Amino acid sequence: MTSEFTTTKANKSRIRKNKMKTFFSKPENAILLLMGIVLTISTVAPIYAIVKDTISIHPGTIDEFISKRSSGYTIANYIDLFTSNLAKRNLWDPLVNTILLSVGSCVMAILYGGVFAFLITRTDLKARKYLSAIFIFPYIMPQWTLAVVWQHMFSSNAVTGTSNGLLASLGIVMPAWWCVGLFPSIVVLGLHYAPFAYILIGGIFRNMDANLEEAATILDTPKWKTMFRITIPMIKPAILSTILLVFGGAMGSYPVPHYLNLTTLSTKYVSMNDKYTGEASILAIIMMLFGVAIMFVNQLSLKSRKNYTTVTGKSGQISKITLGKVGRVLIAILLIILTFFTSIFPIISFAFETFLPNPGDYSFLYTGDTSNLTTKWWVTSENITENGMYGQMGILHNDTIWKAYRGTIWVAVCCSLFAGTIGTMIGYAVSKHRRSKAASYVNSMAFLPYLMPSIAVGAAFFILFSNQYFNLFNTYTLLIIVGTIKYIPFASRSALNSMLQLSGEIEEAALIQNVPWHKRMLKIIIPIQKTSILSGYLLPFMTCLRELSLFMLLCTQGFILATTLDYFDEMGLYAFSSGINLILIVTILICNTVVNKVTGASIDSGIGG
Amino acid sequence: MKSKVKVLAIMLIITALVVPLYAGGATDSPRANETSPVEEIIKQAEGMSLEELAKKAIEESNGKMFYGVGNSSRGKTALPLFISYLQTIDPNYTLNYEWQQPKNNKIFDQLTADSLKSTGTFAMTLIQDGNQIESKMVRTGILDTFIPKEWAEANGTTADEYKGFLPLQTLNKVFMYNNTGDKEFDNVWDFVAPGEHGLFMDIDSEIVGKNFLYMLTSDQYSAVLKDAFDALPEEEKATFQATIDQVATDADDLGLGENGKYALAWIKLWVESYNAQTDDGPICNTLVSQSATDQFGLIVYSKLRSVEESATVSKKFVDIAAYNDGYKGFGGFGYCHYLFVTDNSPLPWTACAFIAYMVETADGFSAWGKDIGGYSANPVVAEETEAIYKHKTGGMAEDGVTVVYPALNDRGGDWWLSENRLVLEDPSYCASVSFTVGSWIEMLSKYTPN
Repeated sequence: MTSEFTTTKANKSRIRKNKMKTFFSKPENAILLLMGIVLTISTVAPIYAIVKDTISIHPGTIDEFISKRSSGYTIANYIDLFTSNLAKRNLWDPLVNTILLSVGSCVMAILYGGVFAFLITRTDLKARKYLSAIFIFPYIMPQWTLAVVWQHMFSSNAVTGTSNGLLASLGIVMPAWWCVGLFPSIVVLGLHYAPFAYILIGGIFRNMDANLEEAATILDTPKWKTMFRITIPMIKPAILSTILLVFGGAMGSYPVPHYLNLTTLSTKYVSMNDKYTGEASILAIIMMLFGVAIMFVNQLSLKSRKNYTTVTGKSGQISKITLGKVGRVLIAILLIILTFFTSIFPIISFAFETFLPNPGDYSFLYTGDTSNLTTKWWVTSENITENGMYGQMGILHNDTIWKAYRGTIWVAVCCSLFAGTIGTMIGYAVSKHRRSKAASYVNSMAFLPYLMPSIAVGAAFFILFSNQYFNLFNTYTLLIIVGTIKYIPFASRSALNSMLQLSGEIEEAALIQNVPWHKRMLKIIIPIQKTSILSGYLLPFMTCLRELSLFMLLCTQGFILATTLDYFDEMGLYAFSSGINLILIVTILICNTVVNKVTGASIDSGIGG
Repeated sequence: MKSKVKVLAIMLIITALVVPLYAGGATDSPRANETSPVEEIIKQAEGMSLEELAKKAIEESNGKMFYGVGNSSRGKTALPLFISYLQTIDPNYTLNYEWQQPKNNKIFDQLTADSLKSTGTFAMTLIQDGNQIESKMVRTGILDTFIPKEWAEANGTTADEYKGFLPLQTLNKVFMYNNTGDKEFDNVWDFVAPGEHGLFMDIDSEIVGKNFLYMLTSDQYSAVLKDAFDALPEEEKATFQATIDQVATDADDLGLGENGKYALAWIKLWVESYNAQTDDGPICNTLVSQSATDQFGLIVYSKLRSVEESATVSKKFVDIAAYNDGYKGFGGFGYCHYLFVTDNSPLPWTACAFIAYMVETADGFSAWGKDIGGYSANPVVAEETEAIYKHKTGGMAEDGVTVVYPALNDRGGDWWLSENRLVLEDPSYCASVSFTVGSWIEMLSKYTPN
């Protein structure tokens, strides 16, 4: 009896082992399991840390004052934030502003980016290639630099109570709502994120099944009806994806509302952190909840996605709308002018700023005297003589700037490699198990950090890694960890989309030939999907280069270029910040060009004409 | 998806419920009452001269890495000078260093996080905002005060007798205005008159600005405001009287002194009128511009040093209000840069020697001393610094007689720090009213141009 029992037990154990062996013999299973664990920890741990912070007592802050204790735990922060006399000012007003800003930015990005994408992909517009390339510039630049340009353009002694900006100098004074607050914040963030809409909506426009519209034309459907009944429903997924990406981005943006004088949850988080530390953490949680809610809405929308079938004749290619001989040129000129102000003018303005004697001092324009220009901001090689440099050396000799530049490149390269590789693996594994719950879970967990506002993610990781065991503040390790987690979706989404288009037979053929997994990946799958996969590396790289909201709580100001740039901007040393901006833009353009030449991949890959 | 949300929700609820139970036995910070090894070293160091400290530092840190953190970037300039000084004693001495300057109040978080390690990263700090230092750093035992022997002697005291933190310098933020128009400011109440919108760093961005407002409610400075109010012409008094009456009950409720209502009135008018800016730099850029007619700001005095003359920008376009004849009331506020050794300092002797070097020698202070608007807390160093940099005549032409830039003739620490010309920060007072007067201030509606 005993030996029979032992044999049965041994058999069961063997069966279990064999099952496990079979399970792990498929790399996609191992990837899903590993990523499931890693992503759960990397998402839940910071949330846990920040929730804990909301109930911890912080010496010298309101919770200590209310609880009369200097350590331990209390719910005083929740009570005070939601019920005190300051609730409106500290919570509700910023929350309303944040929602308005996020919604407004989504609308602006979708309208501007969507119309642009339509004109580029579906019409015979002139200069499509140029416009396509120039349109993504605002995304390349740090988002608040457009806010600073906005200030330089529209501020005036009469309205904003500061020195006159360019327009005011010419006698044009804009009203206050135009100069500061919600409107300019929406415009700036909308312009910054419009390239998302352009790339996503443009991608669908370019690849959409022409049969549907052709069928409508054959059936003599009016153009407006075709647009509203066919074209817009077709791009609905892209619009939802844009909302998904822009809403969280705008909500977590700190610098734009900060510079344009709008109180949002992000700016409130920073300003409350000294006296209301625990309450600030509650604000971060509220922002995170929005991220979770957006993901939930996205899942619902995926379930209700419609399919279309044509019952008429077939079409071979997408028909382009003719704008007419004059129209195609006229609209192109209009867009060239528009993109000049959003993409070229800021760069010209940055370049000029680095040659002005004082920040914002455009004396040479009014006087016509070019001796009112200087190269000191670039070439000064000492910081002893006081020549209006605020104790700084010129950009070319400034150790702080170049150290931050090296640090930024290091962080961007590491984040790009880690996020790109992990994301590609996730994309591959999820595509292999597209219907399984595990794959769906991993896919969602990978996406969640991206949907959470950057400043909230930064705050959570700061708290998580500031203890006696892990003290990673101001280390590249921390920035790389956070950047990787945040940007995995760039790679996982693009890898998943491309892998789903790949027939399983290709890999199966190799599998029959006993080709090992790494060879299948390196020799078959990656080469076929290299363009999509590379954009999964390129986007984290670019975004990391100028990311501020995510990193600002995790390091000091000279650590990476974005914090250094913000420091100089806040100090009013626009020559330095403009110089750094130029360095960033040139770096990104060089990288984009090199990757484009070597691999054929680029940010706006193939959308423009 | 539903199951994921459920799992996440359950995790958060468990976190919220379990952690407080787990933490049931938490007690008030124990470190503040114990004498740490660093405090013992400080005790010894307080009896030593700079040279003796330097020898200890050489013994301790030769070839090692030194981390400092501060609100001022100039610590980075002072460190190599300190190393050069140590090399005059031991030419083979070397020290690698890194100086960090966090923003957005992060210095307190950073020091708190570092204090959790048995041996910290940061050897010392140069830090501002007496209020938070008192409540978050000193009461919790994170930072220790070291009073150098020769600094104490120069101030006619001893380390044992001296109570308070060690100040490196007092910095001033002063009312300055663009003089291309004909507006005059001869009373501190002029800055809160109807229609005025002074440029000021937001009190939520830089807490020393908030401390300035707290200090106004003290008996000393509320009396200054009352005197300045009394000196106003009757019709101007009438402008402010309604506000003063309106806040009188609040002043009583907050337990302020007899002139507290004048302080609250001024604070209310200021908070509801100032035009918040991101930093003093942009404010200075505005004020020196020809187009900023009649604008004024309350900014760090030393910002003026970095203005370059051009067709439309000049230091000539700016005047310091407190220098005007017959000016009544305070001309700005003062706050200190304090020096501390961290309680878990990896290099406590070196930290003490570096601190002593900065507060006891003109060379050590030179990183700050070369600018106007920063006054060494050591009278000997202050005198030497003035002799070297001649700030009192910094606005004169080469002939030494013609005044070119009146605003640049810094009248010096002796002038600014006397007769209530500056509202000076008292950390204990600020900490005591932070959640009473502080909350009252937070209820006020700030001005926005839109």
